[in-house]
Amino acid sequence: MSIARIFGGPRTASSAADEYHRRKRLSVHGAIRWVIIAILVIIQVYPLLWLFITSLRTEHDFASGDPFGIPKQFTLENYARAFEAGDLGVYIRNSLIVTFGASFFIVLMGMMAAYAINVLGFRGSKIVSGIFLLGIIVPVQIALVPLFIDYSQINLLDTYASMIIPLAGFAVPMSVFLFSSFYNYIPKETYEAASLDGAGPYRIFWQITLPLSLNTIVTVVLVNSIFIWNEFIFANTFVLSDGLKTIPLGLQNYIGAMGNTDWTATFAAVCVTITPLMLIFMVLNKAMIQGLEGGATKG
Amino acid sequence: MMLPSRSKKSVLIFLVPPLLFYGAGVLLPVVQSLVLSFFSWDGISDMKFVGFSNYVQMLSNDSVFWQAFGNSMIYLVICLTLQLGGALLVATLLLQITKGRDLIKTLYLLPAVISTVAIGFLFQRIYSVDPVGLLNRLLDVVGLSGLQQAWLSNPSTILAAVSFPEGWRFSGLYMLIIYAAFMAVPTELEEAAKLDGVNNWQMFSKIRFPYIRPVWITTTIMAVTYALRGFDIPYLLSNSRYGQLVTTYMYRTAFTNTNYGYASAMAVFIVIECLVAVGLIFVFMKRKVDE
Repeated sequence: MSIARIFGGPRTASSAADEYHRRKRLSVHGAIRWVIIAILVIIQVYPLLWLFITSLRTEHDFASGDPFGIPKQFTLENYARAFEAGDLGVYIRNSLIVTFGASFFIVLMGMMAAYAINVLGFRGSKIVSGIFLLGIIVPVQIALVPLFIDYSQINLLDTYASMIIPLAGFAVPMSVFLFSSFYNYIPKETYEAASLDGAGPYRIFWQITLPLSLNTIVTVVLVNSIFIWNEFIFANTFVLSDGLKTIPLGLQNYIGAMGNTDWTATFAAVCVTITPLMLIFMVLNKAMIQGLEGGATKG
Repeated sequence: MMLPSRSKKSVLIFLVPPLLFYGAGVLLPVVQSLVLSFFSWDGISDMKFVGFSNYVQMLSNDSVFWQAFGNSMIYLVICLTLQLGGALLVATLLLQITKGRDLIKTLYLLPAVISTVAIGFLFQRIYSVDPVGLLNRLLDVVGLSGLQQAWLSNPSTILAAVSFPEGWRFSGLYMLIIYAAFMAVPTELEEAAKLDGVNNWQMFSKIRFPYIRPVWITTTIMAVTYALRGFDIPYLLSNSRYGQLVTTYMYRTAFTNTNYGYASAMAVFIVIECLVAVGLIFVFMKRKVDE
């Protein structure tokens, strides 16, 4: 169907006066557009900026001052107190271990399953793929009580594994999906040539599929790292001792009972913990944004 | 496709470890939850089989549950409005500007990088009364000081107050997805429409939006199922039943009251909720295509 028919034929040429009005209207539109965009960006970004500025305020300034005001003096004392009050280093280390551990399994398991389903192929591969896909919409809450009980029976409560297993388990479906949709694009001939040269399924996996998957691996790792670095619910349920707390749990130690919270120090701690991710995000944001866009639109 | 040199053994070697992982982390717990939901158990004394009575109690006898369910629905609506509505608006605006797209995309996505705990702290301060937080101060500045209040303790504002941050933080993510989909709309299609003199609204409703419908469905499913399992921010910011969702009620039932059976019934309810939602989205959106 032609577009012209939908909208009732081409427009006749506009007169000069029309053209003038159109231009004027366009520039007004343009201005409104930018105002809306600016407001929305401010809503997204200003709270974060405020968080950062607050972490540099003196306590007195925070308690009595105008939240919008620019502090009269900046101080780094809050950061010193943040490091004194909690084991920021320990929390960061734990988050690193959990993030690397879970990401490793998410990538490896995702690739292996997708390789079996899309490259090796077997009867019933559609069903297996469906079972994995279903996992994308399973809410994590369903696993909390059973895992808590299972862990306490096999002494896995309060370990790194207690966090890594469900984190990876719940992320594997999406990973399988992303690798699968990529493997569908690898031409059959690539594999046939290798097969003729006598390469078996294992060699093909390591020498052909794995190197080709690099971009998808980066996407999967980046997207999952954000979620795992910030993950709260599994850590909050399965970890009890201070030595194993990840950043989100550790931050909670800053909230004093009875409301005696040292907010400026807490905000300083928050700033420290979001810095690594923020830096990675700033450096890799092109890759990350492309990954997010690609992953979703292919779906 | 099928690799000619594969053997049964090689398929198993690649397939079994991921299945085990997925099974241990997801499938087994789902089955266990289902089983547990038919028992009454506090974790210490013996498990007692009670049939459907957890479900009966939940659906017909527990006003707290229904309040939590109602709250979850409002939470869902607020999140969807901010995430999908906001995403659509910003993505459309971005298409119409030429400068600074990448910067705006990055800035807009920024909150998605921050942990819910940090966001919880942040909003506790934004909503605060003493010292006066950002929101109350803003109301004062624009002359609406009558609206100033303790947003997180007032029963009539707490739900909106705990829902907003969740909608806020992922708005950028959905915007990015929608924007990418808009970019994939063929330029010839848009140009032909322009020659026909369509206005901005027609361009959106007749050309661009129909083209991105498949992505829109995926995005809607993502947003709806994420909102139905939303937990962190309401859990961190609210202790009262006025800000309680099914998920946070379930969590407190399990780990504060150690009522594992009843909590499992609620967990099963959340899964069914997600499945029904996905089903409804498919039915609803498919019918629209057929029309």
